[in-house]
Amino acid sequence: MTDKSTPADKHIDISIVVPLFNESESVMPLYGAIMAAMAGSDYRFEILLIDDGSVDGTADIIKDLAKNNPLLRLIRFRRNFGQTAAMSAGIDHARGRIIVTMDGDLQNDPRDIGKLVSRIESGADIVVGWRRNRQDRWLTRKVPSRIANWLIGKVTGVPIRDNGCSLKAYRHSIITRIPLYSEMHRFIPAMASLSGAKIEEIPVRHHARMHGESKYGLGRAYRVLLDLLTVKALISFSNRPLLLFSLLALPPFVLVLSGCMYLAYQFIFTTNDYVVVPVSLILQMIATCTFLFLCGALGELVLRAGTTRVDLFSRLTAELNDD
Amino acid sequence: MTDAVVTMPFENQKLDNHISVVVPISDRRDDILNLYRDYEAALTESTKSFDFIFVLDGDFNDTFARLQEMRAEFDNITIIRLARQFGESTALNAGFEHATGELILTLPPYYQIEPSALPALIRSFHSYDMIIGRRWPRTDSLLNRIGTRLFHRIIRLMTGYTYRDLGCGVRLIRHDVVENVTLYGDLHRFLPVLANYYGYTVKEVSLPQSKHDPRVRLYRPGIYFRRMLDLFAVFFVVKFTKKPLRFFGLVGGTLAIIGGVLLSGIAYQRLFLDVALGNRPALLLSTLLIVLGTQLIALGLIGELIIFTHARELREYHIAEIVN
Repeated sequence: MTDKSTPADKHIDISIVVPLFNESESVMPLYGAIMAAMAGSDYRFEILLIDDGSVDGTADIIKDLAKNNPLLRLIRFRRNFGQTAAMSAGIDHARGRIIVTMDGDLQNDPRDIGKLVSRIESGADIVVGWRRNRQDRWLTRKVPSRIANWLIGKVTGVPIRDNGCSLKAYRHSIITRIPLYSEMHRFIPAMASLSGAKIEEIPVRHHARMHGESKYGLGRAYRVLLDLLTVKALISFSNRPLLLFSLLALPPFVLVLSGCMYLAYQFIFTTNDYVVVPVSLILQMIATCTFLFLCGALGELVLRAGTTRVDLFSRLTAELNDD
Repeated sequence: MTDAVVTMPFENQKLDNHISVVVPISDRRDDILNLYRDYEAALTESTKSFDFIFVLDGDFNDTFARLQEMRAEFDNITIIRLARQFGESTALNAGFEHATGELILTLPPYYQIEPSALPALIRSFHSYDMIIGRRWPRTDSLLNRIGTRLFHRIIRLMTGYTYRDLGCGVRLIRHDVVENVTLYGDLHRFLPVLANYYGYTVKEVSLPQSKHDPRVRLYRPGIYFRRMLDLFAVFFVVKFTKKPLRFFGLVGGTLAIIGGVLLSGIAYQRLFLDVALGNRPALLLSTLLIVLGTQLIALGLIGELIIFTHARELREYHIAEIVN
């Protein structure tokens, strides 16, 4: 299982991927809205609904719909695996040369799909939706997201105003090469920018929640921060882990050097009875330096044994003209 | 990917599905012929067809000879002998590889439960993916029962799943489960936890404990230690497989922050209160905390790198079905 994704099919242009978790009330309106939005277009499309372990009968509603529509496909998970997992399952099984992802709670508007797709057709590799008039609570949703977006932009160097918007369009050949796991879907643009992919952001509609309740809350700050640290490390150093860990080892190394110089000075010019604490401090720092440096060596080994590297999906810029 | 259909409309009707019975044989074993007869009677009562796979985890020449005699007599026995003792997980894996039934039943190689209670367990297999036995009522000492309860309390704390007797060797499993769940080391005990983690449904069914079971009940301390390590491994795999830095980062970050606060306190005392720095162990403690925190975060980053470089092979989700 080296490559788990389904190759693009010549007969399908667009795959619309929607993860659903306990959205039995939204499924019918969502399906209707997508069909209505796509009715006028010349594109051949498929709809991939991923039931992420719902317990409210979401899958049964979809199965009924799928009986009359071969373009509607359902992937049902054994249990709830989370939104990123659902997105990546949809992307793995998508057959269209363009993949559009969106939320299943009707907050995104399928009428925007055409707009996103046309940007892909005119050369963009990834088109990110920007919920300009976001219909969410201000304090618990909008403010944290504003801060997170600013931070993500600063750290990754890809300034996107709305990383949390699920409505995105991708070129199949690009998205299937980017490792998508954990909660990495936030960082797809950052990862993709490494490959030189062309990223655009366009404003999209956003509606207030009608059914069910939001499945996110605050209190995820530490996770986002640690994920961000991960992404930063991966983006900057996943091709040269030894450098990353050597940089981490630099401060203790400087401490060791200056400590030794201080001790030497003391030994030569003043009394030669040194105190225990500074010496133990220096020894501690030497141990740390060694540990971190060897971690870097381990990282090189990991990289060598692995199957994914940043430069492997960087190469795709050359292959963009294939499709 | 399709599930085996198990229909069981009436209480006393037999299961239609073929059951492969896997018996891993290790140091602790009872007379295999008697055991086979009891097990066979129970299976004849509850299913239409079945076969036995005995996996010898080691040499055990006496049992091997006995099994060969039995094979001449009964035609539904397969014998697998491992080259040396590999442990129960490997023995089970070897058995699973040769199991052809839609359902697999693992049974202990000694009288752990009353075989006469097995048909009830097999019949309770409706829409579940896995049924595990629970020795109840139990006949062993209060001390052992307290130990068991403590162990399962920790499991619930760490994984969020509730079980009451993972030490019971009776498990009825859909074949699909063993195809997806990887067993290694000593993880066989946690097969239900892993199955739950993959999204399969697991149910516990009570089986009366055999009065021969409570024989050896106090183990070497090393055994308890190893079991705790296994538990930690399962906990880590279930919670943090794809996000190692979230674990290492939380622990390391906390340590580093404590160290940082301590260090700034010491620095304040040195700069403004003129407390001498040279012989304070607190300085060493605070730097040690910072250093340890950094090292843990470095380990977490290595973990992230491992996941990232293998992201294409690891699948984070498990699909029950695909329509269209």
